[in-house]
Amino acid sequence: MFDYTVITSNWQLILQGLWVTLYYTVGSIAVGLAIGLVMGLIQLSPFKILTYIGRIYVEFFRNIPLLVTLLWIYYALPIFLGVNITKGWAGFAGLSLYIGSFYAEILRGGVQSVDRGQTDASVALGMSYVQRMRRIILPQAIRRMIPPLAGQSIIQMKNTTLLSAITVPDLLYQGSYISSFTYKPMEIYTAIGAIFLIILVPLTLILRKVERGHVGGH
Amino acid sequence: MAASSPRSSAQILDLAGIRLRFGNHEVLKGVDLKVEAGQVVVLIGASGSGKTSLLRCINLLNQPYAGRIDIDGERIFDHDNHGRDRIRLPMREINKIRSHTGMVFQQFNLFPHMTALENVMEGPVIVQMKSKAEARARAMELLASMGLEQHVDKRPAQLSGGQQQRVAIARGMAMNPKVMLFDEPTSALDPELVGEVLKAMVALAKSGMTMVVVTHELGFAFEIADRVVFLDAGRIIADGPPAEVLLHPEHPRLKGFVTRFHESAEMLRPFLDAR
Ligand SMILES: Nc1ncnc2c1ncn2[C@@H]1O[C@H](COP(=O)(O)OP(=O)(O)OP(=O)(O)O)[C@@H](O)[C@H]1O
Ligand SMILES: [Mg+2]
Repeated sequence: MFDYTVITSNWQLILQGLWVTLYYTVGSIAVGLAIGLVMGLIQLSPFKILTYIGRIYVEFFRNIPLLVTLLWIYYALPIFLGVNITKGWAGFAGLSLYIGSFYAEILRGGVQSVDRGQTDASVALGMSYVQRMRRIILPQAIRRMIPPLAGQSIIQMKNTTLLSAITVPDLLYQGSYISSFTYKPMEIYTAIGAIFLIILVPLTLILRKVERGHVGGH
Repeated sequence: MAASSPRSSAQILDLAGIRLRFGNHEVLKGVDLKVEAGQVVVLIGASGSGKTSLLRCINLLNQPYAGRIDIDGERIFDHDNHGRDRIRLPMREINKIRSHTGMVFQQFNLFPHMTALENVMEGPVIVQMKSKAEARARAMELLASMGLEQHVDKRPAQLSGGQQQRVAIARGMAMNPKVMLFDEPTSALDPELVGEVLKAMVALAKSGMTMVVVTHELGFAFEIADRVVFLDAGRIIADGPPAEVLLHPEHPRLKGFVTRFHESAEMLRPFLDAR
């Protein structure tokens, strides 16, 4: 039998977990965007060193599993630095650095997908690098980047469940906690999965609609 | 006709010993080119001879490794034969000089996220820091002179190729350039749209604009150019009045080139006569 009371009597714990999940999702997306913008754009600069820094950053965080990054920042980094890092900060940093590397790739790709002729035309007008990025290249690139950026952000919400491995009380962690004293894993994990579906399926549908409108509009 | 338009003798462009290479491939092998104020110079040559490359050197979209470039008496570029700088302008200066040359591309390269009007206002507002009102007035005037007053609020995607190219010409002109550079401005157009763009260019030439035009429209060259310059494998091998270069070619390669294009020039004649 599916025992609903397990969920209804622990709704506060679940809600707390949901709040933590949303908090880390939104926060890491915001910081990740800033990181991605910097790391994406420096790869397009004429300075070789900056290009390498951006490349190394991207390949580093994109190729280490997020779970390993989180565990490493929480458990290993404090030993290297000799300082304490709270699990909250470790989680936040890991998630942001991870998604930042994906955003950087999307940004770089988006900018590079803009026709060379656009650069030629704006350079011929006498625009500086900053002017042509801001006025000509980025406005065109961003339009193309919105679908993959949104897609990556949806994945990010799912990735936050890895926070439970470093005991950050996200939705999944709360679920495990509830099931540890109620012994009702079926009900609890079903509820957790359902919450993700309820939030992410509509977002995915909206995204698909935006994407289709975008393609149709050009 | 060209001879009837006002010509002064001030030198707008002075290129000397321009050498350009891409990797090991030397594309320009020492090009000298002088253009006087108000002159229309048509640049012809086979595909790959370096016409685009030379045009792009004039506003430093391509960086030669040797040579000297003066625009309106101002030295903007000077490298010795070993690629060393004799002068090195800061980027800001280079951008300022670029803003005094207008360029029209084969593929138009309009900014697709802006209307025709915004395309033309962009340079004056962003680069020359003109007020929006002033830039708008000038842009409207230029677009009207191109016969585009009905289309100022349209995006490039809503315009025909010929209309887009005329917007591009207006965009270049909005900077009050000392010279307008055209790289095969009609090559990407459907044949029935070529005329309207050529007509706009003829009007520009007659207004006394200094122009360097890469084109295969030899009819245009014959009627409008003060000089026709023939580029062959990175070298200028003929430079003179159109009648001389196009009707009495001396160099065998030029002779071959002109004969091949003779038919298309004939086809254009009715349009130019009707003008
Ligand atoms: N960015 C570049 N990198 C490498 N090679 C280039 C580049 N641009 C041009 N070239 C080479 O330089 C040579 C001259 O090219 P250019 O485009 O100036 O010729 P063109 O006379 O304009 O020819 P077309 O009539 O086909 O436009 C060609 O061999 C071309 O392959
Ligand atoms: Mg060319």
